Amino acid sequence: MTDLRLTIHGGHEVEARIREVLAREGFRIVEPPRDEAGSGPTLVVEPHHAHGHPHLPREYARRIEELERTVLELRNLDVAKSQFLTNVSHELRTPLTAIVTYGEILRDGMLGEITPRQREAIESMIGSCRQLLSMIEEILTYARTNAQAISIQPSDFDVDDVVRTVHDMNASLIERKSLSFDLEMAPGLPRAHADRDKVAHVLGNLIGNAIDFTPDGGRVHVVARRSGADPRWIEVVVEDTGIGIDPVHHELIFQEFAQVDASRARIHHGTGLGLAIARQFVRLHGGRIWVESELGGGSRFYFTLPSVEVNGSSHAESAAA
Amino acid sequence: MSDTRPLVLVVEDSDAIRTAFTILLEESGYAVAAAPTGADAVRLAGERIPDLVLLDLGLPDISGLDVARRIKGDPATRGIPVVALTGRDDESDRQALLAAGCSDFWLKPVDTQALIRSLPGYIAKTP
Repeated sequence: MTDLRLTIHGGHEVEARIREVLAREGFRIVEPPRDEAGSGPTLVVEPHHAHGHPHLPREYARRIEELERTVLELRNLDVAKSQFLTNVSHELRTPLTAIVTYGEILRDGMLGEITPRQREAIESMIGSCRQLLSMIEEILTYARTNAQAISIQPSDFDVDDVVRTVHDMNASLIERKSLSFDLEMAPGLPRAHADRDKVAHVLGNLIGNAIDFTPDGGRVHVVARRSGADPRWIEVVVEDTGIGIDPVHHELIFQEFAQVDASRARIHHGTGLGLAIARQFVRLHGGRIWVESELGGGSRFYFTLPSVEVNGSSHAESAAA
Repeated sequence: MSDTRPLVLVVEDSDAIRTAFTILLEESGYAVAAAPTGADAVRLAGERIPDLVLLDLGLPDISGLDVARRIKGDPATRGIPVVALTGRDDESDRQALLAAGCSDFWLKPVDTQALIRSLPGYIAKTP
């Protein structure tokens, strides 16, 4: 027995953990062929002291046993994670299903004649819902397989356009809460060169949170300007007069599944994935996302995006950061 | 005042979706009985003997799959066609549903026009 083969199911996190354990336990990993489509990598490992170690057989057996235990634990964790994602997916789909179904009932004139313009509006509503559903699929897939599965499709667009779209989607909520919403564009700001849908997703998340966590009558202020660190990059700020976030949580809120506390989660519902996804989307562009806030003092979320002036050099900002 | 419209039993725990299906079916010429739980579904199927059951799978008490099995396991309700509405799309679910006696299954959110067009086929299929 000179080597041990492990086929790893459960994605990159599990693989990383197993590699860590193997290294600690004194195994050497002989890099594997990444084969067998979809089945996960097979690691071929051997102990460092494969030759001439007196206690080798006993040592070997003990380590393999430990290894197998760890693999089993990780697999169980992975099952629990997948189960959680399935549940969240169900929770998200239910209200969307209701919206789509009511939309179709209205569109088909079951509750009374509609005008062509009303039909157009309803069609657009149904289309948006179906789009959201497919986005949920994408998010879930993404969360399961880590960032590698998602690619960006850049185009050139104006940031204020996207902000307006996000505002319009939230217009009724903004009105209901009597919030003031304003957008401040720096003069001469170049167009963004980025994945528009992903940027819309990030802005939707930040502006949605700002609306959610700001009491009635408050203010949501969006600024787009050149980044101070590298003026070829665009910096977007979403500022609110809401409840604020304790600085000890500023890193936590960007982690997957994190909610600052249970009561906040109860009041504001949410999967805890929103900011983690926003961060992944921003990072896919080579940008940064961060927050400045204090409890009771409102929040300012910042993120950076490449403009058309960046010319595909996505490392400038990360280097400057 | 006897109702000659075919009766559809809608089994769905979400109030919003149950109401939407009730409107959809009533406006399409069906009578509707509605059940928010699996237990209600089994009871109503026995009491009302509907012409069709539209069954959501994610119920709070009994799984939709078990509801289908109970309806199909009772000689009094065995002949009622059951169509499942599911949020999940994996193959094992489909197999399990067909094995439980479901006529078909639709992924939510369904295309309501297509569903309404298919209903007479399900009802006619069962003797």
